[in-house]
Amino acid sequence: MTSASNVTAAKARVLFVDDEPRVLTTMRMLFRAHYEVYFAEGGPQALELLRKQPVDVVVSDQRMPGMSGIELLRAARELNPNAMRILLTGYSDLNAIIGSINEGEIFRFVNKPWSNEDLSTTVARAVTAARASAALTTRVSEAPAVPAGPLPAVLVMDDDERVPAQIQAILGSECRVFGATTMSEAVDLLEREHIGVVISDTRVQDHPVVNLIGTLKQHHPELVSVILTERADAGAAIDLINQGQIYRFITKPIIDNACKITVNSALKQHERLTHSPELHQRYEVAQTAEPSPPTSGSGRLLDRIRSLRSWVTRRA
Amino acid sequence: MNLRRLLPALLVGVAIGVLIFLLRMTQSVDSELHLQRLDNLQAVNTLDVQFNRVLTQAHVAALMTEGDERAVLTEQLGDVLDKLDTGKQSLHGLSPELDQALDEFLDTIKDKVLLGLDFQARTTQDNQRLLNSASSVPVKVDAAVAAATPAVRAKARDLGDQLKAQVVQLSVTPSPTNQSDIHALVDALDQLGAGQPAAYKDAMAQLRFAADDVIQDKGELVGTLRKFLDRPTGPQLQKVEQQYSAWYAAQVAIAGKYRLALVAYAAVLLGVLGWLGLRLRGSYRDLDRANAGLTRANETLEAQVESRTHDLSAALQDLRSSQAQLVQSEKMASLGQMVAGVAHEINTPLGYARSNTEIVRNSLADVRGLCLAQQKALSLLAAPDASEAEIATAMEEAEAQSQALSPEELMGDLHGLLQDTDHGLGQISELVSSLKDFSRVDRSRTDLFGVNDGIDSALKICQNQLKGRVEVIKQYGELPQIECSPSQLNQVFLNLFTNAAQAIDGNGRIYVHTLVEDGGVGVRILDTGCGMSEDVRSRIFEPFFTTKPVGKGTGLGLSIVFRIIEEHGGRIDVRSTPGKGSEFVIHLPLRQKRSVDTAHEAAPAAVAA
Repeated sequence: MTSASNVTAAKARVLFVDDEPRVLTTMRMLFRAHYEVYFAEGGPQALELLRKQPVDVVVSDQRMPGMSGIELLRAARELNPNAMRILLTGYSDLNAIIGSINEGEIFRFVNKPWSNEDLSTTVARAVTAARASAALTTRVSEAPAVPAGPLPAVLVMDDDERVPAQIQAILGSECRVFGATTMSEAVDLLEREHIGVVISDTRVQDHPVVNLIGTLKQHHPELVSVILTERADAGAAIDLINQGQIYRFITKPIIDNACKITVNSALKQHERLTHSPELHQRYEVAQTAEPSPPTSGSGRLLDRIRSLRSWVTRRA
Repeated sequence: MNLRRLLPALLVGVAIGVLIFLLRMTQSVDSELHLQRLDNLQAVNTLDVQFNRVLTQAHVAALMTEGDERAVLTEQLGDVLDKLDTGKQSLHGLSPELDQALDEFLDTIKDKVLLGLDFQARTTQDNQRLLNSASSVPVKVDAAVAAATPAVRAKARDLGDQLKAQVVQLSVTPSPTNQSDIHALVDALDQLGAGQPAAYKDAMAQLRFAADDVIQDKGELVGTLRKFLDRPTGPQLQKVEQQYSAWYAAQVAIAGKYRLALVAYAAVLLGVLGWLGLRLRGSYRDLDRANAGLTRANETLEAQVESRTHDLSAALQDLRSSQAQLVQSEKMASLGQMVAGVAHEINTPLGYARSNTEIVRNSLADVRGLCLAQQKALSLLAAPDASEAEIATAMEEAEAQSQALSPEELMGDLHGLLQDTDHGLGQISELVSSLKDFSRVDRSRTDLFGVNDGIDSALKICQNQLKGRVEVIKQYGELPQIECSPSQLNQVFLNLFTNAAQAIDGNGRIYVHTLVEDGGVGVRILDTGCGMSEDVRSRIFEPFFTTKPVGKGTGLGLSIVFRIIEEHGGRIDVRSTPGKGSEFVIHLPLRQKRSVDTAHEAAPAAVAA
């Protein structure tokens, strides 16, 4: 584990929030050896604690009386933006998941019952990312914010050809929007154009995009993905968080204003990531347990995506 | 509209009226009546003549034996005159001229009849006088002859005989003309008187008187008869007849005209009838055609109706199945909601139990290492051939491991972890048994059931929606067990609690009150939620009515609740104050009617069934 070396210097602080004290006991047993662990049995208590003591990682249950995990994580993000947020929950409906993406900007979504090893790995990654970006925040204030050159373009992947035009209309002419109805088309565009944000449906041509998005994120961490769909389902959304590190999840029908805000925010995020590679770890994707089945089409595509790296480095 | 329907009827009425009028006018000449009238007139004439004859005879006859016959005649005449005057055969009122003539005639003949009556008396009297005077003449003659001198006696006798004969002739002749002969004979006898005795002359004077009397009486008698016979009944009757004939002719002429008119009219009517017939025939043809068309249309219509009916029944079938699907999807939705809650409730203890087991297992590896080290040290201690150094190393190793592990603390921790695990597993099994209780899969459909237990298990199922946020205050009565479908009632309670929990934003309370009511049990569930408006309240049991956002609720939950309660023969009412909360009041009967069993079969299966 990469975390082992980091931990030695000063123990990272991890806050666990769950309304079931026995879960907290278990967490203590699991993590007390490696981290400075903090516990709270509810949202308000956790926030109180955060105000006194910033932490590196917050692991929270979703269903808690009074304040849901998402509400807590949103508040935590404001209080302690550097802290990585992990949701640990027994069951969540789609709305909770979408909320956790859009409002909580969570790092991972972990289901109960969890595997100790996976949870440990996830927390360790989160700690690493938090540490890396913590170093950044101290100097980000003096970093030049204004980028040079043309604005990065937006790539829209959707079976419906009207969607790119609609988004172009919403964003206005100063932002370039490219449409792709197939993945290879999308990769072509990614090769040719300077793309900052990928807007995609959960499935394109009946293939789930989670692998594509995950691979893109893995090799081009500065790319920001936004999911725009009407066929939302909880499982796919969780995969998209954990394996795709999607930045936002919005549902059709498209609401102009909300869409514009989301895409602009995604472009800014892209900007930040481009200028601060240290942040990439914050958006590190989880490796899928088994690599995606090497179907001839998508396998080649993923290879091409990996090869995009040269382009990215050249550009950078 | 009305006029259009009235007009033909009016026309037909008028046509028939005209026809009747014309017919009557042609019928106005009644030939039978006419003949009767003519007969009457004839009878009057005959009777009049007979009357005249009778009276004339009576005048002639000395003995008035004809009185009976005259009376009969008078009566007959009266009858006939009555007929003429009044009644059906009357000639009155036919024409003014006829009336006048008739009146004249009637007046005359009445006079005549009256005269006839008078006549009898007078003629009897006159005849008597005539007979007296006539019989006195021979006496006077004989007296004169006896008084006469013998010289003239023969002459006087001769003259006297002639006089006698003349007087008898006068008396018996109806219209005598020999009055002058009598006067001449009396004068001749008077001339013989010159030189005759005074007795003769005296007798002669008496004879003259007698002869004059006879003549006068006869004259009166004849006058009376003349007066009777002179009544102008004949001409007047003739005039009546003429007038009547004239009137009749006029009538016949008019009737003829009307007949002509009738013929013309009949012709016109026939024409109209023919035209109507033609039109009717045309109409019938049209009707036949239309009818044929209708029959055809009817056939196609039947086919259409059949196909429509088929479509409709198919649609109904679809509707039914989609309703069933909806009910099913509502069940699935509430099932999903329940599963979400239950999954979380199970996954949390499962999570830490599993994690704890893993930790304990990992720790056991360390513990085993320590045990092995300690055992090794112990066995070295016990071994007679072990060197001090060996023992010391083993002991040190064991000690070092023991220190690293701090077994006391570790054992405590492990114990705690296993306790937690136990607790978690206990929670899971409790939840699972709640689920089982809730669904009642192991119980029959209709069963004796404690409502309080049902409420408890429903509360446990939806605990995750209430926990830490909603306080549940129970006030249970000592309830008898009621006959019901437990799984359905549990669904009812779960639905109501879920709704209550959703109605409460933030913290709140739910009061559950059960009590014994007449013939059953009552359940009151009151929440301190948002409540609802009267408009919403009146509709909440309607299927598909929902206040939740699209996709959040099917709007079937409470309608299913309503149906279940209704099928149990119970009642459910709701009271609500917006902003304050809602109260659901349920009444359930102790026993089910037998038919409910079958109703249950049709009812949706319980949530967890």
